[in-house]
Amino acid sequence: MTARGIALAAGMFAMALTVAQDVRPGLDVYHTWQYAAALALAAVVIAAYVRRALRGKDGPAGSRVAVGLCGALLVLTGGLVSGLIGPDTITVSGSPGTVLPVADLGAAASFGEADAATVARGAGAISLRRSDGSEFAVPPTRPLYLGTSIAYRTTRPAAYVVARDARGNRLTVTQPAGGAFLSPVLLFPQRQPIRDKTYPLDTFALPAVHRIVRALYFSAADAAAFNRVAASSAALVLSVNDDAGKQLAISVALSGREVETANVRVTATAGTYPQLAVAAAPHPALLLGGLLIFAGGAGAALLNTARRSRIETARI
Amino acid sequence: MRSASGKVGAVILTILLSACYSGGGPKRTVAGTGGPGALAGAPAVSYDVKRLDGRLDSLARYRGSVVVMNLWATWCPPCREEMPDLQRFYNEFKGKGVVVLGVDQGESSATAGTYARKRGVTFPILVDEDQQYGRTYEAVGLPTTVVVDRRGRVVRGIDGQLTLAQMREIVAPALKAQ
Repeated sequence: MTARGIALAAGMFAMALTVAQDVRPGLDVYHTWQYAAALALAAVVIAAYVRRALRGKDGPAGSRVAVGLCGALLVLTGGLVSGLIGPDTITVSGSPGTVLPVADLGAAASFGEADAATVARGAGAISLRRSDGSEFAVPPTRPLYLGTSIAYRTTRPAAYVVARDARGNRLTVTQPAGGAFLSPVLLFPQRQPIRDKTYPLDTFALPAVHRIVRALYFSAADAAAFNRVAASSAALVLSVNDDAGKQLAISVALSGREVETANVRVTATAGTYPQLAVAAAPHPALLLGGLLIFAGGAGAALLNTARRSRIETARI
Repeated sequence: MRSASGKVGAVILTILLSACYSGGGPKRTVAGTGGPGALAGAPAVSYDVKRLDGRLDSLARYRGSVVVMNLWATWCPPCREEMPDLQRFYNEFKGKGVVVLGVDQGESSATAGTYARKRGVTFPILVDEDQQYGRTYEAVGLPTTVVVDRRGRVVRGIDGQLTLAQMREIVAPALKAQ
């Protein structure tokens, strides 16, 4: 393989590694020394060739390839910089109505209010408030680019719980161990292994009637897999205990349907609620610019080679 | 020689760049809140909820007064112990630019109303069945007291039961401020 071929291969490899940060953000591999070493090694190989080619040591086509490789160097530098000074991947999980600081972005994440319908539709909102007072929503379908960071939404299972006593009076739902004490929205931060699978688990309390309820989240497919539950929607398996931890009942609450268990009536609406992920990623404009330069340089080199080939054929 | 030094430089650059990486590590998940005190200085968020008489009311409606908002529930023993002091505080500061607002968390108006009538509570009680105020004001327990100044900004958020003397003390700076 020629030096030009090696440099082009290194350029394409480095660009693929960098573009991956935007296409599949948040992977741990971007913060490993091996990833950095691969990019740095590619940079060294490309820079060595570019230096040589720009001095005319690889002919006119080589000079054009060198210009294109400058685009690859631009992309690669973006990848290295975001990996070096961009934030580690974090997931910010907040209960509806709460605001949590995101130090890596110099901003606060505001988690929108959610009622049962919002949870069922998975339509919870997240916005970012920066220290300069600006506020912008994190769109559901595309990421936000903020300097060397990318902020995007992921979803997690959630359920909106309404509990009533035997006479139908609403009961306060508390989450003593949850992110928000007075939230009726369960966000299932734990996992419960059952046989060969794990299921989202959360706990809430109904202090007025001295009940502590463990709730396992079953997706529609999981719920349907259980013989006794023919479900077309998600369901919660509720294990109701008293204050002393004695189990009083186990019930299945299909999403949106009231179930009476251990003298309480529970309606759990299952769905999802968003969380915010922040990762290091170069800005797509930088990548696009670099890729265009690369394509332009490589294209010009190909045209040059083709033209020379035609001229030589004509001479023969 | 120049070529050799260039290669050495390249190797050093590669090693340095690799070493600068943080090494990954586990992904952090940030959850939880800072408690009611963390909101001091922030604009007071308001929701429309029903009063005991069924009319809609909200914290925002009391803008221009100093508001002492008490998040409570009938099942909560410290809330029940605090209620007589809160009523005395209301009686003392009524008509002096201070509004006391009880916001029942998660219970029906029948439950909250029966309790309020039995205990002779006369300050406005809002019934927040969906616990929106409790979530937003980051209550980590009940009772939680939030003081809002005349401009609609949170002055203080306090977790736990307060005495009458403590209520007077926490409201004083907001009353003095223009």
